Amino acid sequence: MAKYELTEEGKEYLKEGLPEKRLIELLISKKAVETQKASKEVKNFPIALKWAIENNWVRKEGNKIVLLKAPEKFEVQEALEKIEKGEEVSEEILQVLISRKLVKKVVKEEEEVRKLKGKEVAYLTPELIKTGFWREVKFKPYNVEIIGKKIYPGKRHPYVQFLNKMRQKLVELGFKEVRSQTIITEFWNFDALFQPQNHPARDWSQTFSLKNPKYGKLPEIAKKVKKVHEKYWKYKWDSRKASQLIPIGHDTALSPIILASKDLEIPGKYFQIVRVYRPEIPDAKHSIEFTQMGGVVLGENLDFRNLLGLLKKFVEEIVGKYEVKFVEAYFPFTEPSCEVLVKHPVLGWSEICGAGIFREELTEAFGIKVPVLAWGFGVDRLAMVKVGINDIRELFSRNLKWLREIPIR
Amino acid sequence: MPTIEASFTDLCSLIGKKISLEELKKLVSYAKCEIESAEGDLLKIEIKDTNRPELWSAEGIAREIRGRIGKEKGCPKYKVKKSKVTVKVDEKVSKVRPLTVCAVVRDLKIDENVLSQMIQLQEKICTTFGRNRKEVALGIYELDKIKPPIRFTTVKPEGIKFIPLDFEEELTPKEILEKHPKGKEFGHLLKDCKEYPIFIDSREEVLSLPPIINSNYSGKVSKKTKNVFIECSGFSFNFLIPALNAVVTALAERKGKIESVKVVYPKETIFTPSLEPKKAEVSIEYVKKISGLELTSKQICELLEMARYDVKLIGKKIEVTYPAYRQDIMNPRDIVEDILISYGYDKIQPVYPPIHTIGKIDELEKFLNSVAEVMVGLGFQEILSYTLTNKENLFKKMNLEESKIVEIENPISSSWSVFRNWILPSLLEFLSNNKHVEYPQKIFEIGNAVVIDETKETKTKDVKKIACAIADTKASYEDISSVLDSFLSSLGISYKLKPIKHESFIEGRVAGIFLEDKEIGFIGEVSPSVLENWKLEMPVAAFEVELEPIFYKE
Repeated sequence: MAKYELTEEGKEYLKEGLPEKRLIELLISKKAVETQKASKEVKNFPIALKWAIENNWVRKEGNKIVLLKAPEKFEVQEALEKIEKGEEVSEEILQVLISRKLVKKVVKEEEEVRKLKGKEVAYLTPELIKTGFWREVKFKPYNVEIIGKKIYPGKRHPYVQFLNKMRQKLVELGFKEVRSQTIITEFWNFDALFQPQNHPARDWSQTFSLKNPKYGKLPEIAKKVKKVHEKYWKYKWDSRKASQLIPIGHDTALSPIILASKDLEIPGKYFQIVRVYRPEIPDAKHSIEFTQMGGVVLGENLDFRNLLGLLKKFVEEIVGKYEVKFVEAYFPFTEPSCEVLVKHPVLGWSEICGAGIFREELTEAFGIKVPVLAWGFGVDRLAMVKVGINDIRELFSRNLKWLREIPIR
Repeated sequence: MPTIEASFTDLCSLIGKKISLEELKKLVSYAKCEIESAEGDLLKIEIKDTNRPELWSAEGIAREIRGRIGKEKGCPKYKVKKSKVTVKVDEKVSKVRPLTVCAVVRDLKIDENVLSQMIQLQEKICTTFGRNRKEVALGIYELDKIKPPIRFTTVKPEGIKFIPLDFEEELTPKEILEKHPKGKEFGHLLKDCKEYPIFIDSREEVLSLPPIINSNYSGKVSKKTKNVFIECSGFSFNFLIPALNAVVTALAERKGKIESVKVVYPKETIFTPSLEPKKAEVSIEYVKKISGLELTSKQICELLEMARYDVKLIGKKIEVTYPAYRQDIMNPRDIVEDILISYGYDKIQPVYPPIHTIGKIDELEKFLNSVAEVMVGLGFQEILSYTLTNKENLFKKMNLEESKIVEIENPISSSWSVFRNWILPSLLEFLSNNKHVEYPQKIFEIGNAVVIDETKETKTKDVKKIACAIADTKASYEDISSVLDSFLSSLGISYKLKPIKHESFIEGRVAGIFLEDKEIGFIGEVSPSVLENWKLEMPVAAFEVELEPIFYKE
């Protein structure tokens, strides 16, 4: 005889009882129940009502359901239990179960797969494997030279990946990352870095300024910075000017924030990756938003040779093992200062980093007595080479096809 | 950074040595310069030091190099004779442009090179060091056309007439501000003045209207000029003295003889320029400590002499004497840098700092990377956009009313005039740029939105957000909500969706994303009118979520 098994619905009723069984159970104690109430309490109520009426167990009277006679046993329920246990049931009950879609015939897998004997098949199926009949069939050869249909995986942005790799390198070298910020007061961007308020580098043409909001608040340390400015640069320091808000103009703006932090550790090594903003007319080499990596290393007995050693290491780790040259430079906040040139196989000799030891007038305001090595790395040109583009604006590419197709490196 | 032009042959003759261009390229780095280009004899030189105006001419660069290559050593000395020229400063200038310092230089042999370097230096000083003539206006005159004493006084805007430089007609100061190109360019510096400053001689002949223009009569120096009068006006001696010193010492390099001018202020009289060398002290130990170099005191003295210092070893210290034009030396550090430059950066052996610390990525950054990895796993492409955008993109195209956002005062283009306060518009802009690329397009961006927050030091705050969008023929709420669910479930976050109103989305197909009771984002099908605004023809379903509440919950 053919084998049968319970359908999903059959399994549910086996567990919870047939709907008509549950209706009768509700009525046994009450004899009559409002239809609305019964429909709320009995799951699958329409099915329950249909079969209870068909079996003459209940009758509808107005908006009530009245119990006529409760059956002694529920044959269908018992049949479900038998089938589950693999026992046989009468043909009559079986037909009822099949018509109510509570059971289904188990098709013998063997019968299906036997038909395939000796034939060529397109797919290897679980049935072929389970039954072992895969031994009896032939697999149709495919044209394995055809390239598969294009699908596009989700991917990280290549520029973000470049920055993440750099971040990882710095952490491996023992540096702690400092969080960047988009808007900053002129105080941190300039004043705290010992740039006097009438210095050409502070001209509006070189940083954006904000229309709204226009002024921020000054930190406690501003009082000390004011003193230092007035002592060395000999002018009247204006707190209003220092509190003007600007989009951060260079990575080093975060360095005095590190120096002022309560968590500052000496010796310590810190870095920051900063999206900076400059009012440049955008072209292949200039962008209004670009990225710099800066930071500080501070500790007793650090000297200029250590600064060069640090920069050389950065070049090795981030750019590659190329020839490096250090040249004289000027920054208002460092003394001595230098610039780093790297002989890059694609870019030629290129200037990639400005650095120096923070001026003593600068660190004096923060009460720091040890030398502080500082640098600012322009990473975008490197990123462009790594990613393989010639236009800096493409680091923020709007080209989905390019993003989809560029290999992960 | 100032960039100057100079003649290669002129520069070599000032250095006093025949050298190749390649050699010169190396030598100029001693003066913190870089040769940008060389075309024939003409060099373009970029000068990195914005705080040393005396280096902004061929004469200044050559003087620096001569020391480094051993042609000369020690502090350059300048003789200053007293001239008979007097400048009387009227009380009235105190309201408009209170200070001036002046000089005379005689016996110049002005050729093409001298003339062009002199004019260029004057311009660079006024523009860069003098902040576009605000702090420093510097004029050079043919002394023989002036009859001292000279007065520095003020006149009413229509109180006098003279022919300004390169003009033929007489104009009043008011007319100069209106008609002369320099008047239009710099007139704003006299905007609030009732009277204008003026240099005028004893015959009532006008020398100049500072900081705007010289007179055509005496304020024009040519190859025939032998003797010059120089005035420098502004608000602070801290600017004026270095500016004047840079110009007179450059002319002294051309064999000019410097003479001082008696400047009579209402309450005091000064003689300018004073080129008396300055003194400072540096200890041997400090030099060794900062440079990291093992140097003997003799070596240090030699390196200092190359850098144009005179030296006197006193025990463990060196007393240095340096020229008056070096106004940048504030601290022994500045002297150490000069020693290092003389030593040669290329000869210094780098040593990696012997500091051992434990590295650490910013925890939030680490979290953002995990978030991105989840999105990549769900098949989304990461994109990256500018945080600067415009109101049209943020509001109008998104069907929203304008609200207060962070705005740029001096944008270079209206396209980038405000900071984005949400990210979805960046995604729609991206999609509208890629209409011809194969769909479905599934993209996300993690980045900053910048919003106003009065409680913060910067009155603003960065909000880390993720926005995610699907553009496809049947991109629906159902699709995007299952992405959101796998995304948030992967981060172990339980959340609720509640219907909200949001004009950028189809009504009834948009929900707020709630973490406990806090709304951290929204999700929905983008309204067809928004799609039209972006010229998109494909349905888009999207969400945007703030990431910090999730980060801090974790």
